[in-house]
Amino acid sequence: MERRCPICNRKTEGDPLCPYHQRAYLNLRERYDRWREAMEIGWEDYLREVAENPNTGEWAREVAQHLLKNGGTPGLNSPS
Amino acid sequence: MGQVLVICEKPTAARRIAEALDDRGKPKAFREMDVPYYISRRGDREFVVVSALGHLFTLAQSSGSWTYPVFDIKWVPAYTVDKSSRTRNFVEVIGKLSMGVEEYISACDYDIEGSLIAYTILRYICGEESIKRARRMRFSTLTRRDLQIAFEKRMPTLDFPMIYAGKARHEVDFLFGINLSRALTLSVKRATGYYKTLSIGRVQGPTLNFIKEREVEIRTFVPEPYWVIEAEAEIEGKRYPLEYSEKKIQRKREMERVLEACRGAEGVIAEINSRKITQKPPAPFNLGDLQREAYSLFRYSPRVTLSAAEQLYLNALISYPRTSSQRIPPSIDVEGILKGLSKRREYRKLVEKLLSRPSLKPQQGKKDDPAHPAIHPTGNLPEKKLTRVQSRIFDLVVRRFMAALGDPSVLRSVRADVDVNGFLFYLRGRQTESLGWMEFYGPYVRRKEVILPPLEVGQRVVVSRLEGVEKFTSPPSRFNPSSLLKLMEEVGIGTKATRTDIIETLFKRGYILGESINLTDLGLSIVETIGRYCPEILSVEMTRRLERNMELIQLGKKTAEEVVAEAVEALRPILEEFKAKERLIGLELNEALRASREKENILGPCPSCGTGVIRIIRSRRTGKRFAGCSNYFNGTCKMSYPLPQTGKIQPTGKTCPACGAPIIKVLRRGKRPMTICINFDCPAKKRRGEKVGAAVSHLQQKDRG
Repeated sequence: MERRCPICNRKTEGDPLCPYHQRAYLNLRERYDRWREAMEIGWEDYLREVAENPNTGEWAREVAQHLLKNGGTPGLNSPS
Repeated sequence: MGQVLVICEKPTAARRIAEALDDRGKPKAFREMDVPYYISRRGDREFVVVSALGHLFTLAQSSGSWTYPVFDIKWVPAYTVDKSSRTRNFVEVIGKLSMGVEEYISACDYDIEGSLIAYTILRYICGEESIKRARRMRFSTLTRRDLQIAFEKRMPTLDFPMIYAGKARHEVDFLFGINLSRALTLSVKRATGYYKTLSIGRVQGPTLNFIKEREVEIRTFVPEPYWVIEAEAEIEGKRYPLEYSEKKIQRKREMERVLEACRGAEGVIAEINSRKITQKPPAPFNLGDLQREAYSLFRYSPRVTLSAAEQLYLNALISYPRTSSQRIPPSIDVEGILKGLSKRREYRKLVEKLLSRPSLKPQQGKKDDPAHPAIHPTGNLPEKKLTRVQSRIFDLVVRRFMAALGDPSVLRSVRADVDVNGFLFYLRGRQTESLGWMEFYGPYVRRKEVILPPLEVGQRVVVSRLEGVEKFTSPPSRFNPSSLLKLMEEVGIGTKATRTDIIETLFKRGYILGESINLTDLGLSIVETIGRYCPEILSVEMTRRLERNMELIQLGKKTAEEVVAEAVEALRPILEEFKAKERLIGLELNEALRASREKENILGPCPSCGTGVIRIIRSRRTGKRFAGCSNYFNGTCKMSYPLPQTGKIQPTGKTCPACGAPIIKVLRRGKRPMTICINFDCPAKKRRGEKVGAAVSHLQQKDRG
C-alpha cells in the first residue's frame, strides 16, 4: 500500500515521512546535540524552541510541531 | 556604381549608421509601410540603410501535428508564428529595397544574435546569392568615429563562425524547448484532459534546480544557538565598539563566565598593531558586474539594468553592453573619452585630475571577450533628458571607467588588543590615508571609517557596556535575480545574452516569485517530477557540454550540423523515457497544478468569521465570478463580495487596513494593473469618495461665485 507523509500527504519513500520532512527530521536530530551542548536542554523543550524560532525552515517547523503533538509517532522517537 | 544595402538591427541604430556613412552627416530619411530607411551618399556610392526589428525570422516545426518528438524544423518569418509581431512590413520593405543591390553590409550589433539577424534576412529575403556579396561591419559603440572606422575596415565576408554558432544555439534551444514543453503539457492533457501550458528548457531546467536545492535547504533548516559579547570602551569621554576575540561563543556557560569576569573590570591595552591596506582600482564593468552593482546600489533587476544600458548604447553614450570583457584595449581613445566627459560640470574636476597624470592606464580585469571591450562611456553626453534609471546607469558606467584609471586607495587599519581580566578584546580602527580611485567612484564606494584616538600600550580603558546576546544561525540566503545570474555565470550555463530572459521566463511561468526568490509549489513539482523521470534535463553537465560545443563552432572546430545532431541524440532517449511514463508524470503534475490553482483562487482570510478564507467562486447559474467565504458551504459564514468581471484577478497577500477585506490586483490587457480592496462598501473608499465629493462641490461653488 502507498504510504503518505502524515504532515503533507506527499508519498513517502520507505521512511515514515516524505523526503523533505524526513530531511528536516534528520536535521532536527542532528542539531539537537549542538543545542544540548550549548544550553543543556531536553528534547521537548528543544522542539518547542525550534518551532518558535523565526530562522527555522517551514518544513523543520512542521516536523517539530508534529513531534510535539504526537510525542510517540511510530518511527519518530525522541533521541535517547 | 550600384547601391549598397546596409542591414541594421534596430531603427535607432539605423539612423546613427546612416548619419555616419553620409558624407555630410545628413542622410535622406524615408518611411514606407511604417518602416524607416535612409539613403546616405558617400563619395560616388549610395547606401540604403534599413533596419530590422530584432529577429525577423524564427524557427518552427516543418510539418505535423502538435505533439512530440519534433526534430524536423525550419526558419520562417516571425510574423507567421507570432501573429502580433510587427515584422511583416519590415520583411516586405527590405525585400523591395534589396532589388538590384550590388553589395550588402551586415551592420547589426556585433554578437551572435546580430550576426544571425542579418544572415537570416540576407538568406531568406535577399536570396542565397546575396550572402556571397555581403560584408560585415564590426563596432562596439554607435559613435560617428567608430562607425566610420568599422565601415572602412569592414570584413570581406560575413562572420560565418558567429552566424553558425548562433544558428546552432537557436536550433538546439528550440528543439529542447519545443519537445520538453510539449511533453510536459501533453502529459497533463493526456492524463487528465486539462490543458495548461508548461515549459522547461535546456538552461531553465538546471537553473530551476539550483533554486529548488536552495529552497529545500532553507525549508529544512534548523538554527543553532550561539552567543556574542557586545561591549563598548570609553576613552576620553567617547565610546568605541569593543570586540570580543571569540566572535561566536558556542556555549551559554562560557558566555556567562566572560560576563562574570569582565563586568565592572578595567581593560589594559596590551598591544597595538597597525597595517597599511592597499586596494587596487576596480576593473571596468562587464555586463554581469554592471547588473550586480546596479542591483546592490539601486535594487534594479538585471533586466532593468540591461534595458537601460541598451538604450544608452543606442544613444551612443556607452559601448555595447552585452560583453563579458573587463578590459579596455589600447585601441580605445581614453583621453578623447575623458575630454568629452569633461564638458559635464560634475565630471570636469575629476577628468582634469586624470588628465594631469603622466599616463592613463586602466585597471584591467581577468575576463575578456573577443568581440567587445568592457562597458565604457563613449565621451558623448546625453542630448536629451535621460530617464532616472538610464541616468543612474550612465553615471555608474562613467564613474567606474574613471575609477579604473585611478590610483590604488590606501587605508590604515589599527587593532589594539585589550586585556580585560584575562580575556582578550579588540579595539578596531580604519581610516583612509589616500582616496585614490575612490575619489572617482564617489557615491558608489562603500566604506566605513572608525577613527580611534591616539592609543598606547599600557593605557587603561573603561569597559562601559558589556552584554551577552543570544543569537541563532541563519538559513542560506534566498537567491535574488542578481545572485542567480552570478551563479549561472559561474557554472557556465546560458550566455550573457540569454541569462536575463531565462530568469524572467521562470517568473512568467509561475515557477518562482518575489524579489527574494521563492520557489512556488508548481515550480517545486516541476523539478521533482522531471528529477524523478528524466533527471538529465536538470543536469548542468549536459547544458554545459552544449555551451562548449557552441564555442567550438565559433573556433571552427565543430560544425553547426554536428552540434545540432549531437543535441538531437541527447534529446531522443529523454523523450522516449518521458513518453513511456507520460501518464504517471501527467498525474503528478496535475496534482501540483490543482494545488496551485486552488492557491491562486484564495484571496485572503475572511474578515467576518476569521476562520474561513475568501476565495474566487464562479456562479453555476450566471457564470459570473464573485468572492465568498469557504465557510459558506458548512453554513457558518455568508460573507461575499462582487468582483470585476473582466481581467485576471491576483491575490496580493495583503488585507485592507480599513475593513480587513483582502486586497486584490486586477490585470487587464493594455491597462495599468489596479490594486483594490474587494469590499465595495469599504470605509476607506467612502472617505476617498467624500473627499472627492467635497472637492467637486468646492469647485462648483467657486464656479458659481
